[in-house]
Amino acid sequence: MELKYFIIRRGLIIIPTLMGLTVLVFILLWAFGPYQIAVAFNPDLHGNHGLATLANYLDQQGFSAAVINGQLQFTNPIGSYFRFVADLFTGNWGQVTFPSRVSTMTAIGVFIPNTIQLALGATILSVIIAIPLGTYIGARPNTPADAVGRIFSLSGYALPAFWLGYILIALFANHGIGLVASAFPYSGSGVAGATGVPIGEFGLSDPTHILLIDSLLAGNLSLFVSAVAHLVLPVVTITYGILAGILRFIRAGMVDAAGQEFIKTARAKGVPERLVIKKHIRKNALLPTVTVLGLLISGLLGGVVTVEIVFNYLGIGYLAVNFALGVQVWGILALTFVFGLILMITNLLVDVVYAFLDPRIRY
Amino acid sequence: MEQSIQIGKEEKQLIVEDLKVRFFTSKGIVKAIDNLSFYIEEGESYGLVGESGSGKSVTATAAMDLIPDPPGRIIRGRIFINGYNILNDLERLVTIKVRSPYDVRIRRRKRLIKRHNYIMSGIRGDKVSMIFQEPFLSLNPVMTIGEQIKEAILLHSRVEISNSIIKRETLNEDDIAKMVDTLMAQPDNQTRKKLIARMCSQYAIPDLAKPFTDLYENSTDREFIMKESLALVSTKKVGLNLEELEQARNYFLLKDREHDLYLKLIEAEKQEDEVKIDEVRKQIYQIKSQIRSDYLLFVLKRLFLKRFMDRPFEEYADGRVLELLTEVNIAGPERVMDAYPHELSGGMLQRCMIAMAFSSNPKILIADEPTTALDVTTQAQILDLMREVNKTYNTSILFITHDLAVIAEMCDRVGVIYGGNLVEEAPVKEIFYNAKHPYTTGLMNAIPKAERRYEKSARLESIPGSVPNLISPPSGCRFHPRCKFKMDICSEKKPKLVEIEKNHKAACFLYSDEVEEEVEEDVP
Repeated sequence: MELKYFIIRRGLIIIPTLMGLTVLVFILLWAFGPYQIAVAFNPDLHGNHGLATLANYLDQQGFSAAVINGQLQFTNPIGSYFRFVADLFTGNWGQVTFPSRVSTMTAIGVFIPNTIQLALGATILSVIIAIPLGTYIGARPNTPADAVGRIFSLSGYALPAFWLGYILIALFANHGIGLVASAFPYSGSGVAGATGVPIGEFGLSDPTHILLIDSLLAGNLSLFVSAVAHLVLPVVTITYGILAGILRFIRAGMVDAAGQEFIKTARAKGVPERLVIKKHIRKNALLPTVTVLGLLISGLLGGVVTVEIVFNYLGIGYLAVNFALGVQVWGILALTFVFGLILMITNLLVDVVYAFLDPRIRY
Repeated sequence: MEQSIQIGKEEKQLIVEDLKVRFFTSKGIVKAIDNLSFYIEEGESYGLVGESGSGKSVTATAAMDLIPDPPGRIIRGRIFINGYNILNDLERLVTIKVRSPYDVRIRRRKRLIKRHNYIMSGIRGDKVSMIFQEPFLSLNPVMTIGEQIKEAILLHSRVEISNSIIKRETLNEDDIAKMVDTLMAQPDNQTRKKLIARMCSQYAIPDLAKPFTDLYENSTDREFIMKESLALVSTKKVGLNLEELEQARNYFLLKDREHDLYLKLIEAEKQEDEVKIDEVRKQIYQIKSQIRSDYLLFVLKRLFLKRFMDRPFEEYADGRVLELLTEVNIAGPERVMDAYPHELSGGMLQRCMIAMAFSSNPKILIADEPTTALDVTTQAQILDLMREVNKTYNTSILFITHDLAVIAEMCDRVGVIYGGNLVEEAPVKEIFYNAKHPYTTGLMNAIPKAERRYEKSARLESIPGSVPNLISPPSGCRFHPRCKFKMDICSEKKPKLVEIEKNHKAACFLYSDEVEEEVEEDVP
């Protein structure tokens, strides 16, 4: 009962956070030059212009800096902010010219399922591996098994995802030194040139844009296998980093919990060693891990961007980099907003899950 | 078992002999306990006193073989619980090589240690229970009190629980008629109430005890009582699958027998009796193959459907938890059952710990400073409770404390421990009025007394110096640097704990010249 109120109260904190986020995005808007902003707010002006020619072009069209300032109410920042926020929340996110000339909303909507698939797959995989592995290592600290586990997790913590991605390509794809030549494809999600599934916008499959699901919907098994093969390297790259982070914390939590008095109580009442570890120690060790998992998922967003570029994988990370390279004002703003939203929701979920797990949390 | 030593008419419940405990740290080997021996008789409470750092808690932990390894290990000794020496396989578990005090290599034999832990998990909590110093830290923060007590119950009395559930399900009219007749024949309400309680827990209907008692108090009409009883009982029959229950009971019986056989096996290995080892091994193999052939399906089912299969057990255990919590005088046991440890006060938690410790009626209770962390009024309540439990169950208590008032209140016999050695042991009156060892007299003089305030010297006497560092303890008698009566021999030889008066032992050269032989050992 009390938990319900906690969730409501925690949910309300979203509102001020959201306001902060919009302010941040609005400030980001001012980081662009007036001509870029002019283009962003006047979709008709889109074209392949370099910055210098863009200015000339705009001048020819009668868009002097003064006109732009007036049009965007630069002289009235508060009003401008509220107009901007209204745009953000109504989904009126302007247009981008990459991957083609579409509304920003459409572009993100089409590309985001692939990223969700990548992030979710990596998170689930690392949790599934980390919990039993962490229990095993944490139950025998300072043994050879523990040393191996620590080296593994430390390396995962230290290696940047993009570098690891290239190494994996070199080792397992038909590229570079090719240790295991063409074991896994290293580029794209397998949809390029695929037949047997409906292909929609930007060369992604329909209806969900996730090839894994669409191929099954179309009943095309060989394409499904290919989709899985394409996922292996990027998922492994991201998983390695998250796994390392969780593993470290589960191990530390296990060692910490094992030294507590109540573990002695459990042994004193005759709980078999196996159950002491599984029931008493691990349950307490997993609590801090949930918090860490939340943080890692936030870090994952950054990781996804680089990994998607390395593997040429069509998700929002790929989109973000191309937006930035092409100075797509609305694209950058919208993605910042979306990433912020994802972070906020993750944190909310972590807090709620933690309250479920730990009875000591006072609401 | 044959090993249980009979002395006089009372049986010794816990015997600790020649205990030696070491902690291997980076600063050197801590000689925590040396040649410690004591015993506790049935129903007796034995107090162990000493300053902080004298080795009281280590002794308690060692008595349950719960010394954390690393860094600690029991090096030598015998601890008889219920007649079985839990340190039978001690020498075989590890090999310790001491290269220098800072470089000690311990090779652990995993398989044997696993077996030892298996043996111990059947003994701990069942034959011997323990209460700890800090009730706040001693209960799992993420499990409810009920769950934690239930766990202890379900671990040790599975066979009894299945038996009483089977009894409940097969309870017929004749049985009830017999019950009613016996109960009607009881002369007074008090004995009847007790009998009802016992019957109800035998038949796994503990929550019917109250309606039954009310029934007999309000009516003497046999017909009416009979009818009502039948109605009451029939509400409690759940219609469980008897076959399944019996199978569970037999399985748990086999498991318990396997545990007992392992005890025998370890004992035989200790005696190096090849014939017996073979015989016991064969029996264990038989049980294992029987479980494999007859109970394979059952075990597999338990693996996946444990939650459903254990439901009747859990329900029974819930009833038992309520009973236990009521027994330790907790107000609102239903609420406490579902509470988490952080929601309760220290006194309440310590009561829950006691309830948990008594969940399987152990013969020995080890109380490691159970009242230190509590305030004075709660202390008195907890002590009362422990004394009460000690009386009703005839449990032996090993009471560890530095509070001499508690000792005077609770204990029959007292051992005084200093620097890991027992220096004096006597009945409680002797210790307080006729203390022999200089350390004990020092302790006694350090007790604040009300009448002393009016004496000339209002200063409290204290023992000069502090507890020795046990990495490099003083030579000879470990107390000699602080002793008022120090002699030359004290720093050279170690006094032996000998009987200097009837039932009064002390280790001091003031009373006896006997020297404890110091043996060169692998582990110093």
